[in-house]
Amino acid sequence: MTDWTVRLGSIAVVLLVWEFLAPGWNPLIIRPPSAIAVAFVELVQSGELQAALVTSLRAFVGGLVIAVVIGVFLGVVTGRWRTAFNALDPLVSALYSVPSVALIPLIGFIFKFQGDAPRVAAVTLFCVFPVLINTQQGVRNVDRGLLEVARAFNTSERRLWTDVILPSATPFVLAGIRLAIGRGLIGMIVAEFFIGLVGLGYLIIQYGNVFRIDRMFVPVIVVAAMGIVFMGLIQWLEGRVAPWLRREQ
Amino acid sequence: MAAPIRISVEHVTKRFAAGALTVFEDLDLAVRDGEALSILGPSGCGKTTLLRCMHGLADIESGRIVLDGDEIRAPSRKVSMVFQHFGLMPWKRVRENVAYGLELARLPRATIDERVDRYIEMVGLRGFERAYPYALSGGMQQRVGLARALAVEPDVLLMDEPFGSLDALTREVLQNELLRIYQERPRTMVFITHSIEEAIALGDRVVVLSSRPARVREIIAVDIERPRTMASVIAHSRFVELRDRCSRLVLDRPAA
Repeated sequence: MTDWTVRLGSIAVVLLVWEFLAPGWNPLIIRPPSAIAVAFVELVQSGELQAALVTSLRAFVGGLVIAVVIGVFLGVVTGRWRTAFNALDPLVSALYSVPSVALIPLIGFIFKFQGDAPRVAAVTLFCVFPVLINTQQGVRNVDRGLLEVARAFNTSERRLWTDVILPSATPFVLAGIRLAIGRGLIGMIVAEFFIGLVGLGYLIIQYGNVFRIDRMFVPVIVVAAMGIVFMGLIQWLEGRVAPWLRREQ
Repeated sequence: MAAPIRISVEHVTKRFAAGALTVFEDLDLAVRDGEALSILGPSGCGKTTLLRCMHGLADIESGRIVLDGDEIRAPSRKVSMVFQHFGLMPWKRVRENVAYGLELARLPRATIDERVDRYIEMVGLRGFERAYPYALSGGMQQRVGLARALAVEPDVLLMDEPFGSLDALTREVLQNELLRIYQERPRTMVFITHSIEEAIALGDRVVVLSSRPARVREIIAVDIERPRTMASVIAHSRFVELRDRCSRLVLDRPAA
């Protein structure tokens, strides 16, 4: 059996069991996959789902991109310079320890609950730490032997970065982005619950409140699909920017 | 008539751990132009540190190391090094690894391409130009390391136990390759090893160091004619006597 038949087979088994057991439960709590499929089509036909997805994607992609830019920059700076590390580490540790959810209302106030900005900021807050911390580790983990090789061949500081430090940190950065995707989706949904009342998060709340469990499940599945798609994208990106890592797969 | 001196190590002292550990003290050594000099010593005696100092990768506490009349303080482009750990960049293909030193020297693209082709050919890696290091065996990785060091066409080639981490068969193949490459174009070479056979076979002279703090116990001229191969050296009538002398000195036993 190939990997893919096992993967798809396992999903099919779960769906089948769910389909046959669901009618035995209260329809206010559990609906079968077939009912969710019907709800999916309804939400697409009414255009609600697409509109919500576009709104959510804007916040998610915007927040993730900003987090990667900030996280990589600060990670590199704090990974390479001890003073920068000492200056930032207490702040980073403190902010990272506070559950990011606890800061969502504050973000709402800061951005006056208007437009995409507070939700973008929420996603950024959820995503930035794994990227920052991983990048920092990557920059610090540079093989001492390779640094010596670079010195032995009379490297310039700029070439030291492009030949040695950045490539060596790349897999760490990508791993950080992968962690950030999962956290970012949480940030996106939570922000939509509490700040925006828009997007996929709002669809979940809206249909949950009226006990349309079938429709409520549709955005949940879409969020799961977003996770899969973005993880796949990172994997593809890794093959492009770090082809030497293929040995590990 | 002896060739002029290329590198001279004069009264050099090196300490570690804030002076608590003396690696070598008042060490003197001369490398002549065009010679292959083997440095042999027990493990931990500071051979690698000596080589790093000779390349300007490590500071010395006192004394001086002079290359062609100039004191060495930082790595010079006249010198290149082959590392025990190969030191290849995993993210660079064979070609890019070999081109590394040439690119840092900002040579014209055409020169870089020509040299890379030539040295990849010389170390027998044709056909592997686009491979990443992880896809190569240890022996092939060190061929890349050798090509990278040779490609900059240094006046002096420093080699730090380059074959130390290879299996015995691969090691002998590469030792023979190095003998052939030296034969084609002799260049000043300093070769660190803890293998007595290797030191004799590759060197015109063998410097035997004592254990720490390292001193030069003796310098032995290897009177075995070139061209050599590992097999021809070991079969040579002088070999056994040279080996016994080296091994007595390394193991610090009095002459029998």
